[in-house]
Amino acid sequence: MIKHQSTLSHRTCSVSYTMTIDEPEPNPTSDPISEWLDGTLSYIPSFLNELYSPDDFYGDSWWVPGESIDQEQQINNNNNNNLTAFNTRFDITTASTIPLEPIISSQPTPLVSSKKRKGNDSDYNPKASRNNQNRRIKDADDGEAIVDQRVPTKKSAGHKKATHKSTGNNSNNKEGRWAEQLLNPCAAAITAGNLNRVQHLLYVLHELSSLNGDANHRLAARGLQALTHYLCTPCSTSAPCASAGVTTFASTNPKFFKNSLINFNDISPWFRIPSSIANSSILQILEEHDQPPNLHILDIGVSHGVQWPTLLEELTHRSGGPPPLVRLTVITPTIEKDQLKNCPFVVGPAGYNFSSQLLAFAKAININLQINRLENYALQNLDSQVINSSSDETLVICAQFRLHNLKHSSPDERTEFLRILKSLEPKGVVLSENNMDCSCNSCGDFATGFSRQVEYLWKFLESTSVAYKGRESAERRMMEGEAAKALTNMGEMNERKEKWCERMRNVGFAREMFGEDAIDGARAVLKKYDSNWEMRVDEKDGCVGLWWKGEPVSFCSLWKIDTNTNESWNSQSNKNHV
Amino acid sequence: MATMMVDDTIPDFDYYGGLTTPTTTTTTTTTTTTSSSDDDHDHGCTWNDWSPVVDWDAFSGGDNFQDLIESMIEGNNSSGGLNMNIPKSTTFYNSEDSVLMEESEESNNNQSEDVNGLKLVHLLMAAAEALTGVNKSRELARVILVRLKELASPNGSTNMERLAAHFTDALQALLDGAASGSLPKSMFSPNYKDEQQQGDVLAAFQLLQDISPFIKFGHFTANQAILEAVAHDRRVHIVDYDIMEGIQWASLMQALVSRKDGPPTPHLRITALSRSGSGRRSFGTVQETGRRLTAFAASSGQPFSFHHCRLDTDETFKPSALKLVRGEAIIINCMLHLPHFTYRASDSIASFLSGSKTLNPRLVTLVEEEVRPVGEEEGFVGRFMDTLHHYSALYDSLEAGFPLQSRARALVERVFLGPRITGSLARIYRTWGEDERCSWGEWLSAVGYRESNISFANHCQAKLLLGLFNDGYRVEEIGTNKLVLGWKSRRLLSASIWTTPDSDL
Repeated sequence: MIKHQSTLSHRTCSVSYTMTIDEPEPNPTSDPISEWLDGTLSYIPSFLNELYSPDDFYGDSWWVPGESIDQEQQINNNNNNNLTAFNTRFDITTASTIPLEPIISSQPTPLVSSKKRKGNDSDYNPKASRNNQNRRIKDADDGEAIVDQRVPTKKSAGHKKATHKSTGNNSNNKEGRWAEQLLNPCAAAITAGNLNRVQHLLYVLHELSSLNGDANHRLAARGLQALTHYLCTPCSTSAPCASAGVTTFASTNPKFFKNSLINFNDISPWFRIPSSIANSSILQILEEHDQPPNLHILDIGVSHGVQWPTLLEELTHRSGGPPPLVRLTVITPTIEKDQLKNCPFVVGPAGYNFSSQLLAFAKAININLQINRLENYALQNLDSQVINSSSDETLVICAQFRLHNLKHSSPDERTEFLRILKSLEPKGVVLSENNMDCSCNSCGDFATGFSRQVEYLWKFLESTSVAYKGRESAERRMMEGEAAKALTNMGEMNERKEKWCERMRNVGFAREMFGEDAIDGARAVLKKYDSNWEMRVDEKDGCVGLWWKGEPVSFCSLWKIDTNTNESWNSQSNKNHV
Repeated sequence: MATMMVDDTIPDFDYYGGLTTPTTTTTTTTTTTTSSSDDDHDHGCTWNDWSPVVDWDAFSGGDNFQDLIESMIEGNNSSGGLNMNIPKSTTFYNSEDSVLMEESEESNNNQSEDVNGLKLVHLLMAAAEALTGVNKSRELARVILVRLKELASPNGSTNMERLAAHFTDALQALLDGAASGSLPKSMFSPNYKDEQQQGDVLAAFQLLQDISPFIKFGHFTANQAILEAVAHDRRVHIVDYDIMEGIQWASLMQALVSRKDGPPTPHLRITALSRSGSGRRSFGTVQETGRRLTAFAASSGQPFSFHHCRLDTDETFKPSALKLVRGEAIIINCMLHLPHFTYRASDSIASFLSGSKTLNPRLVTLVEEEVRPVGEEEGFVGRFMDTLHHYSALYDSLEAGFPLQSRARALVERVFLGPRITGSLARIYRTWGEDERCSWGEWLSAVGYRESNISFANHCQAKLLLGLFNDGYRVEEIGTNKLVLGWKSRRLLSASIWTTPDSDL
């Protein structure tokens, strides 16, 4: 109960919040999101009003939505009552169940009867689905219940965070990362076709994996799911085994999804920093001489709209006021494409659409906003007509964590797409990507690719362990389940910063330095997160890197069309590169 | 009077008096033999279900993999419905496995046991790997041991649970020792007798005698060879490396006095070696054994004298310390590492066996543990798995012999086997990578001893003895001079007899 109280006390309720903040410099403690939400009050169900009341978003975690608080409550309840304390560790067993049956293609083995498969599938497990259902109902209930529990006290932002810093494994040596010491050898054994070894390691992984443990246990669980999925893939063409029973973005409801995402940004800079830098960059481009007054943003990102209220808020602080027209063209990921399904953070839940709320928010702060959603639009088909761009607007493209889903070789879709972006004649391009090695088949064997994916997930899980302060919640499970898609993503993923920059240059973009506002603003934002996070500005290429425990996670870069080079030369040189 | 005293301390002292004349019943033996050496036994019972994992090399192919994975899944399914929404917050694992296991259907119980056993074997192996392998990771070893401690218990209901508990403790000690830079000395030769209640030790010894043929197999085979070797001698002098309770010699005396043909009962002299290092207890125990044997000899009409010879402080043996009488047949008796014996250092054994050679003994009787030769490339993990296999066979055999007496077995395991496991692992951990000692039999051969023939009668006697126990036991003859006691496919203990080229035989 005490734990409860402390969380609640951080949920502040500043009713007297004013919408106009005159401070011109980036202020990480202002909260445009809450205003966005405030402005949408009339558009959302009444029970959300309490949740979406104006508040200090950056200040602290009042944004912990009802679900997660309920979560804690439930944990406490479970502790008190062993009978209901189901063990989440069995999640993994279900998920691994199906993949395990068929084996590597080199050793053909009889398929198990469909009856068995059904029995093992969580979708067919009445007990499981009942529990899930209960869960969802509870979530909804508590979303309301939370209303009464709010404690209208305000606390200063920074202090509490400091005490919770680095609860995870602080040493960055590989010694502490034991899950990888099982997963990587297992992947290597799969590659080598050493079934005894595979079997042995699967057994051990199975025993040590837990979706509720520390980051290592979680990594073991996710890794085991992925490996068994991989083992089953050659045999099963239809069953999406890896996703069975795993909570992802797509498997949640829109409201929970959005709340969780906002809260995640509040506790982890994983996306927060790239968003912050992108927003600052947009402002930066807009401030430049002779830019057309209207702003057009092409959103090819994974922020699912959460990023934009902040920008709109900042636009109102411009000296000349907000642009007469702000257009937002959102390229919503193709849901049908199976490959995309496995790309983390891309696909939101069905029915999720942030447009109306964002429009209402814009209206509330007197911004003339137009939103155009291009649903299920193939990136390759973009052109000026599709996005309906015009010469009287400043087009800025935000490509965030999406382009790595494109093939990087044979064919080089990435370069092709960058060329398309260039043809749109943007005034600026913000490119944010994971700064890691590619894990696709053409960049290495399965074991190599898998170890890279595992490393990516390790950083995520270790950082979320700190972000959620080791506590379990439906929210955390969703974020981690979504990130874990990286392990089953057999397509291309990631590329080092240097390669991305090279591609950009080759198609005729020139790097643009981030302004001081962008850097300082991001630094200020980062301060509120765990101290294992750091921002490194590369003096050479001007990219801003986000690092976790001394290892690169992602980078942000800003580009403009290079007026000094000609495209044909570039495309030639690019072909050589490919 | 004397007998009564014996009965008080070791109630079973003359238990096997009636067993010393088995050579006549050859017919019975044949049947026993067939069944006990039948390879089909390897495919029965629970043993088979995890032996493929231990016999790593023999394990291959998709079907098995499929089965095992399936069984692994079965195990999971029996754990009931998944529930990803209700987390556990304090411990990552609790006892739900076992709890839910009980809920599963009766018919699944055996399978669940096997699956659990398999789990434990995999975890133990992984822990051994993490402790020493190429991907050595202390953190991984630590995490695996944490899990093992949750799954294994010295009071567990299955053999593997209890066995795994001892192995886990031993691995933990290695991990801790490796952290502090040195292994605690007590690990190598755990002196359980100092820690355990003397009563427990006696009771456990008694139980071990009753429920398994291990002790009798060694004693009987050695005694039969001795009887045959000294058939015409008037004076016999046995030098016993580790006399323990002296129970071996009671049966020998009975056999000697009941000899029908040949010369009159020879004079028997026994010299017991004792460790000087272990203090009074060792000395006192040997003295006590001497008194008991003297009394027993007197009661059965066996001319007898008992001597006591201390080893040096470093446990080396000096032949010159022995009192010898011209014309006596010298027998060197070396019982090593029977389940209830304490560990003896290699140097000490070597000094005894090589020193004995200068005495020109008529016969050397050697009983030792059978250890599978492990290639260097298998390293610590290979030796570890072999040790696990060895003890699991031992546990299985004890269970088969005494299926309902789990508490009795638990006592034997706690008093004798647990400490031995710890010691074994500590030794293979320390010597891992060094040249591995061959068996003492090979060693004897290398230093110039000659194989002496095991008689047909002796072989039959062993088979008959095993016939009294579970038919999972088997005896096989290896070469001309060695009998091996095995449990199903696993060789556990061997008895071999040797002589010197210059022997007067």
